Amino acid sequence: MNEYIGIAVMFVLAGGIAGAMVILASTLGKKNPTPEKLAPFECGKDPFSLPMGKLAIKFYLTAILFILFDVELVFLYPWAVVYRQLGLLGLTEMGVFLGILMVGFVYAWDNGALEWK
Amino acid sequence: MNGATLSDLLLLIPELILVGMALALILVARRIRKTSVAVVGTVLAALAAALASVWALPDGATTGFGGMITLDGYSQFFKVLIAATLAMAALLSVKTIDGETVPRGEYHALLLLAATGMMLAASALDLLMLYLALELMTLCSYTLVGATVKSPLANEGAIKYFLLASFASALFLYGISLTYGVTGSTDFVAIASALSEQGFGANPLLLVGVGLVTAGIAFKIAAVPFHVWAPDAYQGASAPVAAFLAAGSKAAGLAALGRVTLVAFGSQAEVLAVFLAGLAALSLIVGSLVLLAQTDMKRLLAYSSISHAGYALLGLIGGTAEGTSATMTYAFFYVFMTLGTFGVVIALGERGEKLEGYQGLASQRPAIAALMLLFLLSLTGIPPTAGFAAKFVVILSAVRAGYTGLAVLAVACSVVSAFIYMRVVVLMYMREPQEPAPSRFPVAISAALALAALVTLIGGISPGTVVVWAISP
Repeated sequence: MNEYIGIAVMFVLAGGIAGAMVILASTLGKKNPTPEKLAPFECGKDPFSLPMGKLAIKFYLTAILFILFDVELVFLYPWAVVYRQLGLLGLTEMGVFLGILMVGFVYAWDNGALEWK
Repeated sequence: MNGATLSDLLLLIPELILVGMALALILVARRIRKTSVAVVGTVLAALAAALASVWALPDGATTGFGGMITLDGYSQFFKVLIAATLAMAALLSVKTIDGETVPRGEYHALLLLAATGMMLAASALDLLMLYLALELMTLCSYTLVGATVKSPLANEGAIKYFLLASFASALFLYGISLTYGVTGSTDFVAIASALSEQGFGANPLLLVGVGLVTAGIAFKIAAVPFHVWAPDAYQGASAPVAAFLAAGSKAAGLAALGRVTLVAFGSQAEVLAVFLAGLAALSLIVGSLVLLAQTDMKRLLAYSSISHAGYALLGLIGGTAEGTSATMTYAFFYVFMTLGTFGVVIALGERGEKLEGYQGLASQRPAIAALMLLFLLSLTGIPPTAGFAAKFVVILSAVRAGYTGLAVLAVACSVVSAFIYMRVVVLMYMREPQEPAPSRFPVAISAALALAALVTLIGGISPGTVVVWAISP
């Protein structure tokens, strides 16, 4: 059981700090509401809209490029943890993996995926 | 788990060649000005991969990557077959994939990567590796089917294929997880040893798992009732892609199914035989009957490929090494006769895609009509063509396994499907031409047709040349 006490302490601390910030801001803070401030916020976009809305197809390209680097990171982190045990072979394998991903990136770049036109 | 070493890569030389060429094509995709560059690159890579598969003959079977990949006679046989499929599909693409509607470099890179997945499926010795390999193949295939972006039929076919295949993949994965849950491994050899101890009866979940794994692979070979995607995907895809799918996807699926049924689930052959016999009987009946109603040549060949999946499955029912060899022989000859038939369809262009287009072809282009006659006889299974030898070995193995009824059904379905194949022959030889003679076609298509015709003839006259190589795992 002892090893879980740390997690419990973390939960209490995180909850306490976050709760304190919200309570302090709402009691002590200066209030100056504007329509922009009252709107719910989600990455600069209106979070509620009908699904028929239009979205620039260019975002899909960005999303695909994001996946390229995302997959790379997912694999790089565990690799970095066991890097010493893997040795030269691990370095070569990661080189090959990154090389293949970079071919995809170079292809996308070559075809103008990075230009916002 | 054992770590992989660099020497393990020696097992994958053919796959590495194909991947290397695919990456090179992707890198220079925008700078390829001529279709022939991409075609020559793909054909050379396929030849090198075939040579590497033959050359890397080990003493017996070798495994690598912690027992996930093996190199044995079985995987070599299928690697050579898949390399031949790839080369012929690339040759048949020269006319259709001209770089105007479909980008050349990308198209051939996808062909190469799909073929890599097929080769890996033939060498996989682990259910998860097999899943990855088959997914690599199908992911590339969706894109290839939808490659002609402007065509609504192609988009429809690609979306249907994608949705159904994703569902089949999910079934396959669920089957893998159930099998893992009961046997504690995804490795074929470990599954086999766990099964020989407890058997199917010990845990009904295992039965479900094996059924789902079989279903997932049956989807790749388009066996009824997992065939619904094939007609739409083939019709929507451009003819060379349909040819590649019909030949390659089936060969890879049969390779995977052969190894799974014989190595992993081999000790429980009687239970597995119920699944396989059901799939075979349904594929034979549905494929042959629906075949009769087709007027679109690509749909006709799709149903033909469905019924041929039924024949190919006949060899696996017995769960014996001889039966698996029979299925290997079937897969080999099927690939060449199907690619040949598609080759004629491609060579005739627009006209070749409709059944009426074949009217009076013999008086206009006797050579092409003779080739078509050869391939159709082979699809029907009439000597002296490879189709007869192929059907003979699988039906014989079904009889030996005690499935005489199924063997009779197979022969009956052969007769039924002969009606439609012979209708094309009647149209070619006994009708007056309605359309102007087809224009000349590139020499690459002639080369692919010549290879297909050669194998179909040699396979019919002396099938032993192929049968000796068909060594089951």
